Amino acid sequence: MNFSGYKREDGRFGTRNHVMVMSSVACANGVVDAISRALPEIVPLTHPYGCGCGPEDLGVMMRTLSGLLNNPNVGAALVIGHGCENLNSSFLTQVVENKPIEALVIQDSGGSAATTAKGIEIASRFLKQLERQERVSAPASELIIALECGGSDAFSGITANPAVGAAADLLVREGGTVILSETTEMIGTAHILKRRCATPELGEQVERLVNNHERHVRESLGELAGMVIAPGNIDGGLSSITEKSLGCIRKGGTTPITEIVEYAGKPTNRGFVIMDTPGYDIDSMAGMAAAGAQLILFTTGRGSVAGFPAIPVVKVCSNSRTFNKMPGDMDVNAGAITDAGKTIEEVGRQIFDLALEVASGKRTCAELNRSIPFNYLKQGPTF
Amino acid sequence: MKNNALKIDQKDNVAIAVHPIAKGEAVVVEGKPLVETIEDVDAGHKVALSEIRKGEEVFRYGEPIVEATRAIKKGEWVHVHNTQPIPGDLKD
Repeated sequence: MNFSGYKREDGRFGTRNHVMVMSSVACANGVVDAISRALPEIVPLTHPYGCGCGPEDLGVMMRTLSGLLNNPNVGAALVIGHGCENLNSSFLTQVVENKPIEALVIQDSGGSAATTAKGIEIASRFLKQLERQERVSAPASELIIALECGGSDAFSGITANPAVGAAADLLVREGGTVILSETTEMIGTAHILKRRCATPELGEQVERLVNNHERHVRESLGELAGMVIAPGNIDGGLSSITEKSLGCIRKGGTTPITEIVEYAGKPTNRGFVIMDTPGYDIDSMAGMAAAGAQLILFTTGRGSVAGFPAIPVVKVCSNSRTFNKMPGDMDVNAGAITDAGKTIEEVGRQIFDLALEVASGKRTCAELNRSIPFNYLKQGPTF
Repeated sequence: MKNNALKIDQKDNVAIAVHPIAKGEAVVVEGKPLVETIEDVDAGHKVALSEIRKGEEVFRYGEPIVEATRAIKKGEWVHVHNTQPIPGDLKD
């Protein structure tokens, strides 16, 4: 199976060819916003920190932001720095290879208005440069698809997640890669994930990851830890945290786990990969996009509208009621499994086929709505 | 026959109601009636496809999710009132 993508110098393929304009620190967000008002075709990426954090958080920010700049969906990038921040723009541009990238520093470029004017000039030039590039045929094995869920309901684990799992199996059989994330949603399944790993070492690693996370949740939430299985879940029919988490991990399909990576870490293996991320969907998508995912399959029951900058997000809705209520936000109706007699496999195939179309340029609801929330994992205090 | 439940994995001993199933109605999975319910089962909830003995594991997604705290009859609603988490899983 093939899709049409933009071939990059490093051999990877983009499903999009965006000019990204990124701030290196929150103080530069205004200039990025001003450039994107003048040039709506660019993808702006602004964020709340880049300064005033401990070394561990800065490291995560650096890995996430540079990973996004390196994502094959970004054809060219402009980084707007402030000048006095910790995470300055030259750190970010230095680690980006094989694509046009420039940086402007507000304090060295004549202030906000002058930097905005220069930024518009550079980004316009990049847009013209990228216009000349054309899509070429690429094997589906070149795809890294991130899996996410948000605003789940009682049907997510019955329809949307198993259907995405069936699509994940199809991609892995083609030689491609899927990334399952949200360690919080794996609590109670360490023993099951362990059995599903390709090697005993990976099994130990996943068991440690999930058990450590469980300990962390218990320490942070104390008596509230039991609430990670919320009363709403019990009303909806879930009898244990294991049952709830199995519904989440089902998105990864049924193939062996080939690698476990840290937040925003790049997988070196293909197949079914697990990334350690929080359950917060925006942070989680950022980690997987930074790892090079060119497309995101996102299941929802309540109707999450969240997309992501530069990466197409396909919304798979768990029920027809929400699908019909929010037709401009949902791409696939997995509710057809419960009320149109479709099987999980049939909807899985539909999702896989749509993923290839989206990878080839078809725009998703979140893209049409320009829904591009962004945030990254931050664990320590702000100084 | 119109489907009203899903069996996600062949190994599962419960089906998940996708519509409310009233007492005495057939649980229909992929066009086939599998069992008759002996009580009402709400949408999203589990119904036993076979008898489950006390201490026996309940399978969904082909994996054990809880164990029976008493004997569960074929067609009975399966939830927190007749099951408990399997020792070793997160307890509240």
